[in-house]
This record gives sequence, structure tokens and C-alpha cells, in this order.
Amino acid sequence: MSRNSRSYKAERVIERLTRKVNRQMALSLAACVHCGMCTEACHYVLANPDDPTYAPAYKADRIRRLFKRHMDWTGRVIPWWVKAGSIYTDEELNELMDTVFGKCTNCRRCSINCPMGVDFAVVNRMARGLLVSVGIMPEGVAVVSKDQWEIGNQMGVLKEEYLDTLDWMSEELQQELKDPAAIIPIDKMDCEVVYSINPREVKYDPRTIADAAKIFHIAGENWTMPSEGWDMTNFGLFSGDDDLGGAVARRLYEKVEELRGKKLVISECGHGYRSTRCEGPNWAKYDVPFVMESSVITMLRYIREGRLKVDKSKNTIPVTFHDSCNNARSCGLFEEPRELLSLVVEDFREMYPNRSENYCCTGGGGAMSMSEYTPRRLKSAIVKAEQLKATGAKIVVTSCHNCVDGLTDLIRHYKLDMQVAQLVNLTANALVVEARVAVPVEVPAAVPAVEAALPLHGRRILVVDDEPDILTFFSTVLGDNGASVTQAPDGATCMDLARKEKPDLITLDLSMPGMDGGKIFEALRNDPELAGIPVCIITGKPELRRLIYDRPVPPPEGYLDKPVNDETLLLNVRKILKLV
Amino acid sequence: MSETLLFVEDTLQIWALQFMGTVYFLRLLWILHFKAGGDRQAPTGRGTSPRKGILYSWLNVAMPWAMESTRKRAFMYAQFIIFHLGVVSAIGLSFIIPYAAEWLHSLVLVRVLQVSIGLAFAVGVWRIIRRMTHPVMRKISSPDDYFSLILLTVWFFFAFLSVPNNHQDGEGVLMTFFLLTAFFLVYVPFSKISHYLYYPFTRFYLGRTLGHRGVFPLRRTS
Repeated sequence: MSRNSRSYKAERVIERLTRKVNRQMALSLAACVHCGMCTEACHYVLANPDDPTYAPAYKADRIRRLFKRHMDWTGRVIPWWVKAGSIYTDEELNELMDTVFGKCTNCRRCSINCPMGVDFAVVNRMARGLLVSVGIMPEGVAVVSKDQWEIGNQMGVLKEEYLDTLDWMSEELQQELKDPAAIIPIDKMDCEVVYSINPREVKYDPRTIADAAKIFHIAGENWTMPSEGWDMTNFGLFSGDDDLGGAVARRLYEKVEELRGKKLVISECGHGYRSTRCEGPNWAKYDVPFVMESSVITMLRYIREGRLKVDKSKNTIPVTFHDSCNNARSCGLFEEPRELLSLVVEDFREMYPNRSENYCCTGGGGAMSMSEYTPRRLKSAIVKAEQLKATGAKIVVTSCHNCVDGLTDLIRHYKLDMQVAQLVNLTANALVVEARVAVPVEVPAAVPAVEAALPLHGRRILVVDDEPDILTFFSTVLGDNGASVTQAPDGATCMDLARKEKPDLITLDLSMPGMDGGKIFEALRNDPELAGIPVCIITGKPELRRLIYDRPVPPPEGYLDKPVNDETLLLNVRKILKLV
Repeated sequence: MSETLLFVEDTLQIWALQFMGTVYFLRLLWILHFKAGGDRQAPTGRGTSPRKGILYSWLNVAMPWAMESTRKRAFMYAQFIIFHLGVVSAIGLSFIIPYAAEWLHSLVLVRVLQVSIGLAFAVGVWRIIRRMTHPVMRKISSPDDYFSLILLTVWFFFAFLSVPNNHQDGEGVLMTFFLLTAFFLVYVPFSKISHYLYYPFTRFYLGRTLGHRGVFPLRRTS
């Protein structure tokens, strides 16, 4: 394309840039003196010291050059003098995408280390929004954004699935506390607390919902969860799409108002807290009439008010705390988690640096949904891994679901002897539940564990996926149904385990770092010993289906698109194994 | 003193200052024409406020312990201070010579200015070398970055030589210093050197936001 003509998308980006830049952004774009002081604040730089393209000032300049060329006088008149430049092709837009999505987690660490006060994270988010507005974004961002626009939550959790999970957790709670009143109230009017959660909790970690419910119940809180508009996460923060950000936040605010709730409590999620508590009112242009607080503050308050009794001797394993960037660097939430930890764990070990100076878990800014950048992300995670290792702790606690995923991934990658937990888990574990007045409760008798009655009893299944959450979820569902499950996080492990275990079925992800699923599938089919093992492809990239079926080998026995729920997974596995 | 030097020291500087003031005023209008983003959220964090955040943000320049980037790199902070003190001294000199030349009869003041400007010159040379050799600095530098730095360093050099205000032995040094000063005043609004115009604003907005959100003043344990 000639330099005189600009692609349609490039034209739109330039046009929108001039409308999008506000005074704070303009100042951040104009004020950089290229002093380089921000360089070592960035975990990408620390992990890639020989690659100057990771330097925050360089990354900012990819955006700044456009601003200077189109909005600043020096750049308009003598662009080469200030390295101003425009953008003409979709390829150039893709290069910009690689920088703003793939080389920055918007953690804001460079912003607080800039002597000039340049807030690069804000500028980077703005650039993401411009690209998203013309459809240029990593595929994961597109998928998640679509789910949040269309289904109302970023993991595409259906209402029935959500309500079923709450029902299930209610039953578990009733059984655990032997109290029929211990339920999760849904859409109860005029409550003190409306509790909102991250869809990841429904999908992969319902234990955190049960733990929170236990805490609310024991604290005697008048609380509820909304049947709709319950997702407090907001992909608009990551994608830079203010319209999505506003729509998602509004959905939640309006639901709380509809329920006449007095306070919105936000479960432990860094970007969810920031989006709902801080940015949402701005994006949605909504003057929120109720109080919003993090569940960390709520739990701390309950203990201080004597509504919860805790015994820290129930949590004896050494614990450290990872500050989520969004919580600590953008919302000032860093003392309360420590105060809570000091009440519920015996052995707390500080991580350095910490609070607002902590390093990103490397999964922030939506990085966990951009699998194309996984190798880059994991390389930069060495900084966090070293921080974690230095604490000597066995559990790293964080108040953020993104951080849970990011930390879990890096712990596995760098083979650290650690687990990840959230404050709600440790607080629930430390609870001292006082004996209640005995009320006859019809508790369903425990079903005898007749393993043979389980649908997948005796079947050996190999689950292959690079996402730890998916591995855990699939393994739990299949294991709970009687299967003997082994896990492989990558292609090499898959091939080893397949030869060793000769499983009855392999569930295979396609997008994985290193040897991708397509190659693994072909290798399995071409190995005479393994060719007969049924394979179920489970991928978040439906467009890769053709690449599988085009291969010169027999097709897979099953094919599922992510997100996949437990019922669908089970049904398909049983079909492949001819158990239905 | 020749008429030319008198003109260059005084009238030309006033013209240049007027030009710079006008362009700065336009620059301010340009900045203000961008709509300022608001903040509807209720405050977060403890023990801080937008006002505290702004104050902390503005004073950040005088608190090397506040930012990790200056706390861990004392030399970087020291050279920053030396360089900017040199700028202040050289600007001061450009006013002292035409309007209060008798002050320079004080050997103490002469030595103070010479040390300040001389050290700033040394820092300027170091900065040029760093900018040309450090891979990140090279990658992020524009012609304006190099030119502005070289301009200032050369200006320091002539300022250093001009401190004694000795025009009896020739006016070349003083003439060069004041011509450079005039050029500097005219060029500044179009270059990165105008960053000090933005500084109060960038730090105001960052301080206001992060003060409102309980982040500024920064707290840490290390």
C-alpha cells in the first residue's frame, strides 16, 4: 500500500485517536523526555535485558509517534525530528497490537517510576481500545469480549449453569454446617450485601463461592447474590473498550439498585475490583448510589466486629502475599489483606518489593487469555518466580483471580514448591464455628461410594492442556465420575504418558506452547502403538478445526469448543467411550 | 562592551523571552483544549486524598527515596540534580550578566556558578555518551533528544566560560553564550526541553488520581 493511501482500519484508528485523547493522555504523550528511568521498572525488560523493544518508553513511543504526527505541532511540521509517524497498513496495526497487548500487562509499575509522571498504562489501554474498535486484537480478547457482550459474563457461563452451581454450593454448605438455613440467597430484596463474583469461580473454583457463603452465613449477614448481572469482572479494562466497560459495570450497578441492596461486595479479583469500584462509574457515567467494597475489607470488618471468630493455628503453612497490580497500584488496597492475613495465618512472610511496588504476576492485563503470547509471558515470569522463591513460603496468597492463574502457571513452569490460595479460602479455613442450637435437619444420607456405579469407572483418561485451570477442571469432572485421570501440560509429556499409560481416551487442547495440539494429534495417529486411542479435541479456537481434519490421518473421535461445561464434557466422553 | 554584545545580552534576550512566552501560552491553550477526564468513584485506600496525592506527586522530584527508579540508582538521581542545578545557574547567569554584573565581583558567587555549571557540563557529556551507547537509550532517542542535549551541553560550556563576565579580553565567549541562550529560548517550546511546562500538569493529574485511590503517597516495606 502506498504511503499516500491508508487502509480503512488505519484511517479509523487515526480518526478515533484524535477523539479519544483526553488531557491526561495528551500530557503523558507529550511529556516523556526519554530519560530511560522507567526501563528497569518493567518485568518484561528485566527478563529480556538485551531487547530494548520491551522498554516502556519504547513501547509508549509506538503510540506517541501517532499522537505527535497527528496532534502535536512539531510532529506535524518536522516529523522525523521527533520520530513522529503515522500508520498506514493493517500490518502496521498488527505490529502495534503485538506491542500493546503482547509486551505490556498494563501493570502501571513504570508509571509510578516515571519522574515526569507519565502514566503509560493509561496510554497503552487507550491504544488497545483503538485497535479493538477496528477489530484488531488477540483472538482470546475477541472471544472473551464477545462472551461478555452477548452472554453477560466473560466466560460464557449460562444462567442455568450459574444457578446450578449456587444450588450445589448451597447444598454443600448445608451439609457442612448441618444447618438448613445455610443457603446462598438469590435475588433477595433489601439486603445489606449483594455479593458479586468472577465467572471463573463458577467455572473452575466454586469452592471460593462456598467459602464466601460460609463466611456471610456465620457472620449473620443479610446477603444475596443476583441471578443476573453477577459478573464483577470487566474485560473492558483489558481491551480498552470503554463501551464494553461501561455496559458491564452498568449491568451490575442496575441489578444492585433493582434489588435495593445497600452494599455491593466484590469478591477477590484485582481487575474486577478496579473496574467495578473505580473505573466503572466513569465508563458508565453512573453515579453509584450504594457502597462498594472488596470482600477482603468485608471479612476483616466481620472479624473486627466480632461477627467471625478465627483461629490462625488452623493455617500453619508459611504464607506470603502477592499484591495484585490493580488492587495495589490502582486502588490502594494493600494494607487490609495483610491485616486479614495477620489474623488468619500463623506464619506470614512478606515479599519484596511489595504493595504498590510489587511486580505483576505476569498474567495481568488480560494476558491469560492471549495464548499466543504465553512463551513471552512465562519468560518474563522469572522475575516473579524469584520473588516468590525468596520468601520461602509454601502458599502464595493473592486477592485476584487473574493472579491465581498467572501465579499457578509460573509456579508450574519454574517448578516452585508452592500453592496459590485466596484470602477467602484461608479465612474460611480459620473460622471457628460455634455449636448451634440443634435443629432437626433432613440431611441426605451420604450415598455409599460405589465406584463401580460411576459412569467412567475403570477408564483411564489423559487430559492434555497448557492451562492449569482447564487441567484441574477436566480432571475433577472426569475423576468425580470414576475415571483415572492423568494430566499433561504439553506435547512432550502427552506423548510420554500416552506410551506409558495407554489411556482409553485423550482429551487434547490445540493451542499450546511448543508442540501444538495438531502436531501431537498427528504424532499420536502415526504411532502404531497409539493410533487406536480415541482423541477428543477440546479447543478455544474453533477455526483450527479445519487444520485437524485436513491432516492425512484419521479424524479425531470427538471435537468440543471451549468453554465447555461439565455436562457436555461428560456426555461427549461417554459417547466416545461408547458408554451411552 | 560593544553595542552588539549589549544588544545580544539584553534586547535580543527580551525578544526571545517574549517569543518563548507567547509560544508557551499557546502550548498551554493547546493542552487545555483537551478535555480533562473526571473521576466519579468514591475514594479508595486509607489516609490519603487527592490533595495529598498532588502534593506528594509534585514534591516527588525532591524525594529520591520515593521512587524505586531513583532510590536504587543514586547516581542517576545525583546527575539529574546536578544537571538541573546547572540549568538554573546558567539561566541565572544570563540575567546576572546584563542586569546585576556587580554580583560577579564576588569570587564566592563566581566559584559557585562555575562549579555548578561545570559539573552540569560534565553530566551533559556523560548523558550524550549514555544516549549514544546504551541500547535502550539509542532505541528511544530522536534527533531532537540528541540535539537538545548537545545544545544544552555546549551552552553549559560557554556559560562556564562566561561566568567571570570578562569582555575586555574579547567578546566571543559572551557573545556565543548569549546567542545560544537566545536560540535556546526560541527552540525550547518546540523541543523536549519544554517538558518542565508539562511537569506540573502530568504530576498533578497522576497525583490527583492516585491520591484519590489511596496509592499516593506510596507505602512500602523493604
